Amino acid sequence: MTGPTTQPFVIDDRERSRFLVNRNVFVSDEVYQREKELFFDRLWIYVGHESEVPKPNDFHSRQVAGRPVIFVRDGKGEVRVLLNSCRHRGAQVCREGKGNNKIFTCFYHGWAYRNTGALVNIPDAEAYGPDFPKGELGLVAPPRVDSYRGFVFISFDPGVEDLTDYLGNARHLMDLVANQSESGMTILPGIHRYSMKANWKLLIENSCDGYHGMSVHQTYIEMMMDLGVTPGIMPQDEKARPAPNSGIDLGNGHATTMMREIGLPMMSDGAKELAAQRRRDLVELHGEEYTARMYNLTRNTIIFPSLVIVDLNFGIQVRTMYPTGPNSTEITGWQLIAPEIAEELKAYRIDNALSFWGPGGLATPDDVAALEQCQRGFATVKELEWSDISKGMVKDTPTTMDELQMRTFWRRWNYLMTGEQARPEGPTYHQVIGADTAGVS
Amino acid sequence: MTTTPNTDAGLITRTDIEDFLYREAALLDEWRLNEWLELFTPDCLYEIPALDCPQDDAGRTFSIVHDSRVLLEQRVARLLKPTAHAEFPHSRTRRLITCVRILGTHGDELMVAANFSVHRIDLYAHVEFVGRYEHVLVAGRDGLRFRHRKAVLDLQVLQPQGKISIIL
Repeated sequence: MTGPTTQPFVIDDRERSRFLVNRNVFVSDEVYQREKELFFDRLWIYVGHESEVPKPNDFHSRQVAGRPVIFVRDGKGEVRVLLNSCRHRGAQVCREGKGNNKIFTCFYHGWAYRNTGALVNIPDAEAYGPDFPKGELGLVAPPRVDSYRGFVFISFDPGVEDLTDYLGNARHLMDLVANQSESGMTILPGIHRYSMKANWKLLIENSCDGYHGMSVHQTYIEMMMDLGVTPGIMPQDEKARPAPNSGIDLGNGHATTMMREIGLPMMSDGAKELAAQRRRDLVELHGEEYTARMYNLTRNTIIFPSLVIVDLNFGIQVRTMYPTGPNSTEITGWQLIAPEIAEELKAYRIDNALSFWGPGGLATPDDVAALEQCQRGFATVKELEWSDISKGMVKDTPTTMDELQMRTFWRRWNYLMTGEQARPEGPTYHQVIGADTAGVS
Repeated sequence: MTTTPNTDAGLITRTDIEDFLYREAALLDEWRLNEWLELFTPDCLYEIPALDCPQDDAGRTFSIVHDSRVLLEQRVARLLKPTAHAEFPHSRTRRLITCVRILGTHGDELMVAANFSVHRIDLYAHVEFVGRYEHVLVAGRDGLRFRHRKAVLDLQVLQPQGKISIIL
């Protein structure tokens, strides 16, 4: 970019194993504007999951990358994304958060659109004459709409690379989620929508940050131990079956942390047996090795720029974060579940997920508080310019407690903002899970 | 004033309920959370339904809070620790409880509705949580208890609240 006073944004010093991020990137309006142009106007941006619109004519209206969109399954079953703005004067044609509608009628002058986008009625249409191009005045779809394993993305750049290429090795992490259900992983009713007074990138970092677990979530860990469970981030019995413990660069700025499952507090004997049966069913479908990877490891995956999938053995959180300014972020959280699991197990997973996640959980409020404290601290940016993200850079294989996954995000971020290339760090996904399974996704 | 509590739900008046709810609000505002916990039955449930489907079962949806007694005790224990970072130092809260109604009785249970406006003030901001309570109270020898305490928010998005780190 031209003319910013804040460069360099990132110092990636491999020789001294130091990785620094300029705190101006969290406060600068100029940087925020560039992020909107370079990321949210051009990259693949997550809209929603196909299971949110299960029946023909189901829809949700939501903000995606700063735009109001309608996420809808049309009458023939095709999932579509339409910009929620009337071709006539621009009013939002859909004013409900969700529902089931064949037609969206703009209440300003009454122009009406089918949920395919087609303009089907203009009141007093004769006044426009016979040559009025009604057929060209449907609701507009983003130039690119595509999905991977139920996750629907849009891009406002017609020339963006194909979604599967864009996702890179993040696809394997999405497969590990999608393969947990034979009938299709399903978003639960209930959406967490909340805000924070902090830069959106702080939440990306936080969403894959193992290091903060012991300090920010000490009360959660104490709760688990009080209930007789040893959380996965505590030192483990080394005689137990070895498990990966790695931050992994997935390409294109996507990254994950992969480690052993975390404990399950308050699980009844009935729920334990149902979970064991569920595991046996999955082994039958996918084999022991893949099932162990799906079920006995946890993954915090970030998909550049602003989608997070936290796949823990008690729940799967899908989360997006969009900036509304350098200092403010809108956050949405959903919960994915295998719809065919027994009701008792489903109820257990929901309770366990709620105990941690969301605005009323025992963990998420402390994350929001931590990130807002960072943002307040950035008022010292003229005196304190750099944040340190070097942890584990001295290692060949940084762990989930290190910061490789954040450096992966920042290297991509810096490349898109400045054109500076950086070589990747750490083992690949297939090296972590074992070369013998390289052919398996 | 000491009175013998009424164990017949049908004889409990709205004033009795108001006294109970006002005392409860004061315990929360004063952060006397362990005393507050004594107002709950062993089989209690504390819940905040999802903002976008408040009519749905908080235990079957991605709601906001669905605490059994065990988890409620953990929530209280946590909030009283200085390591509950979102509430350190403790925010100030002020609860306005109004429009209290007894909707019906069933055995020893009373179905109670009330409106609330809970203000939360910390060093940085003042936010407000608005909604209604749908409680199931039990009339026992030692007074009224919550069997089911449900706070239904009217908010559609937690902006600017950002979090619900206090008890609503």
